[in-house]
Amino acid sequence: MNASPITSWEGVAAYFTFANNPTAISIILTLSILATLGIIVASVVHENKTYIDYK
Amino acid sequence: MEPTAPTIEQLQALIETTTTINMEVFYWWCTAFMVIIHVGFLAYEMGASRLKNTLASGVKNILAFAFIIPTFFFFGWWIYLAMYNGFTPDFAAGAGGLPWSTSMGPNMSDHASGIFWGAFVLFAATTASVFSGAVIERIRMSSFLVLAIILGSVVWILGASWGWHPDGWLTTEWGFHDFGAAGCVHMVAGFFALGVTMNLGARIGRFAEDGTPVDIKGHNMPMTVIGLMLIIVGFFGFLGGCMIYNGSGEWTTIFGTPVTLSAVSFNTLMAASGGIIGAYFITRQPFWMMSGALVGVVSCAPGLDLYYPPLAFLIALIASMIAPLTDRFLTKRFKLDDAVGAFAVHGMGGFIGLVALGIFSGFPNIAEGTPNISFSGQLMSAVVMALLGFVPGFGLSYVMAKMGMLRVPPKAEVAGLDLVEVPLEAYPESNPSSKNNTLTPTSAPTEPTSTVTA
Repeated sequence: MNASPITSWEGVAAYFTFANNPTAISIILTLSILATLGIIVASVVHENKTYIDYK
Repeated sequence: MEPTAPTIEQLQALIETTTTINMEVFYWWCTAFMVIIHVGFLAYEMGASRLKNTLASGVKNILAFAFIIPTFFFFGWWIYLAMYNGFTPDFAAGAGGLPWSTSMGPNMSDHASGIFWGAFVLFAATTASVFSGAVIERIRMSSFLVLAIILGSVVWILGASWGWHPDGWLTTEWGFHDFGAAGCVHMVAGFFALGVTMNLGARIGRFAEDGTPVDIKGHNMPMTVIGLMLIIVGFFGFLGGCMIYNGSGEWTTIFGTPVTLSAVSFNTLMAASGGIIGAYFITRQPFWMMSGALVGVVSCAPGLDLYYPPLAFLIALIASMIAPLTDRFLTKRFKLDDAVGAFAVHGMGGFIGLVALGIFSGFPNIAEGTPNISFSGQLMSAVVMALLGFVPGFGLSYVMAKMGMLRVPPKAEVAGLDLVEVPLEAYPESNPSSKNNTLTPTSAPTEPTSTVTA
C-alpha cells in the first residue's frame, strides 16, 4: 500500500500517511475515536462484572 | 579555492532556521518537564491512598493522562482556536485545529502546531490530575474517565480560549491577565473537583456518626511529599510553556504582553518559598508544606511576569495559610471529603491569585483598545472561571450519581479497589487486601482504622 502523499522531499508541506487521501484519513480518525469510546464502554462492562460480588 | 563569505540572504535563512529550531526545542523540553508533573501526581495520589487502593489510584491517574491526549487531539485544540468569543465558534480560526487538518500531523511548512499542541495537552492532563486527587478511593473508574475528558479536553480549554488567548473575550473586554493559568487550569480544575466531590460523597469512615471528621491517612506519606516536590519541578516546564518564544524579539505571555524568563524565575522561586513557609507556620507538617508550595506558585501565577519578588513571596505566604484553613473549613462545615485538598490548593489558590493581581493592578495590556489590568476585570474573570469549572462538574456528576454510575458499591470500597479492579498487587508480601490473603470479598463494610481529626 502506498500511503505516502509525496513523491519528492522538494518543497514538501504535509507529508504524513494519507495526507492527500481524505477517505483514508476519515476512516483512521473514526476508528481511533471509536476505539477511545469503546474502551470506556468496555471499562463500564468490566466494572459491572467485578462489582457483582460486592453488591 | 578560498571559501566565499556567506551572503546576507544565506545568513538570514540561517537565523530563521535557528530561530525555528530553538522554538521547537524550547517547547519540546517544556513538555518533557510537564510530564514530571504527572510523575508527581502519580506518586502523590498513590501515597495518599490507603494500602488497599494504591494501584487503583495509580491506574486512574495514568488513564487520565492517556485519555486526555487523543481527546484533546479530536476536539480540544479546535476549541482553543475557535471559541475565543465565548460560545460562538470562529470556524475559520479553528480550521487549523480540526483533527483532519494538514497542520495536525507531520508538516514541513508548520513547525509550530504540533509543539504547541503538545504543551497544551500537558496543561490539559494537569487539570485532570488536579481533579483526580479529590475523588480517590471511591469513584468509579469509567465515570472518572468521562469527567476527566470533559474537564481536560473541553472545559478548561474553553476557559483558556476565553482568557489565555490574545483574542479571548476576557482579555480584550475586561483586561484579564493570568500569566500562569491560575484561572483556566487551576481554578477551573479546582471548582470542577468541588462540584464532583459534592455529589460523590465522602469515603466510608471519613466522618463519625456525629459528623466529626475522621482523618483517613494515606499509606505512604514520604511518597506523597516527594510527589508534591516533583510537581514543583514540573511547574518549571509548565510556566515555560506559558510563554511565547518569538525568536526575533522579546518573549511574550500567551496573550502577547512582554515577559522574560528571568522575571518568572524570580517570582516562581519566591512564591514556592513563601508557600512552604506559610503552610509550615499554620500546619507544621510536610504534606501541607509541599501543598503550600503549589498554593504559592498558583496564587502568584497570574502575575509571575509582573510582581516585585518579595510581593510574590508575601502573596504566597498568605495564600498558603488560607488554603489549609479553607480545606479544614469545608471538611468540618460542609462534610466535604476532598481527599487531597485539591479545591483548597488549586481552586482557592487560583482565586486568591487572580484577585491579588487585581489589587496590584494597573499594568497596560498590549492589544490596541484592550483595557488595562484592573481589580474588577480580575474579579469578574475569576467568577467566570469558578462557574466554568463548577457548573459542568456538579451537573455531570449529579446526573451520574442519579444513574448510580458515579461511585463504587460500598462493599467494594471497603474491600479495597485494588482487590476488586486491579489484577496486580502493590505490596503482595504485606498488603492485607492481597489476593493471596483474601480470596473472598468482605461480607460487610467495616470502619477503617482511623483517628479523629483534632
